[in-house]
Amino acid sequence: MDNRPRRKTSETVDTHGYCQAEIEVTHGFGLHARPSVIFTRLAKSFPCTVEIEVNDSNVWLNGKSIVKIMGAKIRRGSILKIRARGLRAAEAIHALRALVERDFDEEKKHGRSA
Amino acid sequence: MAEALEITGISASPGVGVGPVHRPVDVTAEALALRDSVAAEGDKLQQAVATAVAELKALADRSDEESAGILDFQIEMLLDPALVEMAEDRIVTGDGAALAWLGALNDYIAGIEAAPDEQLRARAVDIVDIRNRVLSALIGRPLVDFAPGSVFVGKDLQPSLFLQHDWTAGGGIVLFEGSASSHVAMLARSRSVPMVVATGRFEVAGGIRALVDANDGRVVIEPGDAQVREAKSRMARSRPIASRRTGGTVKTADGLAIRLSAIINDPVEFKAIDSSSFAGIGLMRTEFLLTSAADAVDEARHYDIYRRALDWAGEAPVTVRMLDLGGDKTLPGLGAKKSESFMGLRGIRLLLARPELARAQARALLRAAVHGDLGVLLPMVTIPDEFDAMQAFFEEERAALVRRGLQARMPEIGIMVEVPAAALMLDRFSRSDFFSFGTNDLAQYLAAAARDDQSVSALYDAATPAVCRVIAQGVALAEAMKKPIGICGEMASDPWHIPALMAAGLRHFSVAPNRAADIRSTIGGLFSDGRAAAEVK
Repeated sequence: MDNRPRRKTSETVDTHGYCQAEIEVTHGFGLHARPSVIFTRLAKSFPCTVEIEVNDSNVWLNGKSIVKIMGAKIRRGSILKIRARGLRAAEAIHALRALVERDFDEEKKHGRSA
Repeated sequence: MAEALEITGISASPGVGVGPVHRPVDVTAEALALRDSVAAEGDKLQQAVATAVAELKALADRSDEESAGILDFQIEMLLDPALVEMAEDRIVTGDGAALAWLGALNDYIAGIEAAPDEQLRARAVDIVDIRNRVLSALIGRPLVDFAPGSVFVGKDLQPSLFLQHDWTAGGGIVLFEGSASSHVAMLARSRSVPMVVATGRFEVAGGIRALVDANDGRVVIEPGDAQVREAKSRMARSRPIASRRTGGTVKTADGLAIRLSAIINDPVEFKAIDSSSFAGIGLMRTEFLLTSAADAVDEARHYDIYRRALDWAGEAPVTVRMLDLGGDKTLPGLGAKKSESFMGLRGIRLLLARPELARAQARALLRAAVHGDLGVLLPMVTIPDEFDAMQAFFEEERAALVRRGLQARMPEIGIMVEVPAAALMLDRFSRSDFFSFGTNDLAQYLAAAARDDQSVSALYDAATPAVCRVIAQGVALAEAMKKPIGICGEMASDPWHIPALMAAGLRHFSVAPNRAADIRSTIGGLFSDGRAAAEVK
């Protein structure tokens, strides 16, 4: 389990299939090889567009592209904005945000308390 | 004969190897190809990518889990249209497929290499691997393997090249650049291939004999036989106990053996996890057995699962924790939470208050203990009286089983060190056979901050130094009593905490199986006192 302090996060939903969330990356090594694979696979499972922005850079990248995500060099401690537009946008944001909060499920299966 | 040339670098995987030098040819030199139409060049590139993906999938299929994970990442990168699109932009401006691919990938790799974070920079070589594989497919030349037993000397070594090479004949790896956190360093450590990185560029011709002494982070070109013998004998001395189950031990950079056991939460894991890579089971939780209070006293059900665990582990020890109910783990009618504090009737307190529960489980454990190396962990022990009361249950049940003509054997009984009052007074638990730190609870009790309460999670985390100090003190007490001590809390499954836990003196870690590869490679990159080998050249 990871209990490092997190910046307060926010989630915005509107009724036109647009949703956005903000979250701090607390995973050990940031969004690198395996976490990127897991993140983009989950993003690709939704029909809506998924985009990410790192540290208020104002550049929105395709959240379904592992090449773009690796290229964004997301470190532990980065603030990630995720936005989705289209069908099941709110669901996608909810799932992706939960994935980041769970540190990309790298300990999910065995993560029960000792 | 001229004096042998000696070069120093950083050890990324300990060991000693000697063999003829292999120098890779830079594939980029042959990459310029004649160009066709834009569409034809685009097609060629698409086909080459498809070929590379198929090759990587075939390689992943015959690789172990850790290696397959690395290859999966490469496959996912190639399946992302963004890479091909970057190259197609260059084809449109007049480049041939090979040149376009090379240019696009080199730019991307340069970006990753300039990352501020070493962990990310270390991924650049995975992308070099992807680049070269597609390039080889484009120019119709297979990636060249090298002779078994060779010492690879180059700027960097790509994971897929490592994986397709036969390392059983020995040899080693010397990288001018490279990093102890690269995928190839992880693979080298898991295969015990000696590897030295960050030597800086040096000239050496292919075929010349080289010695890789990765215990000292040293490379010797044209070493004398005496030097080779000396390095090898030093290796033999620093590794006195070659365990038969080498998968269950990991060597630190200075050669100390650390035991790695598995944490098992569910018997279905026995099928999925390879027992040969663990020194048995360090913690098997038993709460999963149960969906009701009736299950909890189902002795046959308990026994059956303990037998399966012992079969899985073979000769290695299996440590079963007795039911830890109460607090956050409840069953209908059992251990219902009366407060939010997790500090009420739980763990051994509940077991002693409900003896029928404890005795049924004790009987199953006593009978299973006949069939292997079984240990029992008691949860939430606060004072020695609790240990003594539970041990009395075991003794009484054992006598009763024997009277009934059943085989029973007393297992080793140890305590979970998770209540601060016990952690500080380990010397009073002289009747306990062994100890295991449960850091999840220890941390929340030390910080008085519940781990599942976000509003105080910062405190829980910030208490880590206090937890490490209590661990160091407990380790010293256990060592003075000559009792084994280990850790089975989640801290042990987090690479970030390993240096501090090693510094606190722990030498036995029970980890979540899906974290084992990371933990193994983290330990391989540290000295036994927890310092990073890469930092202390």
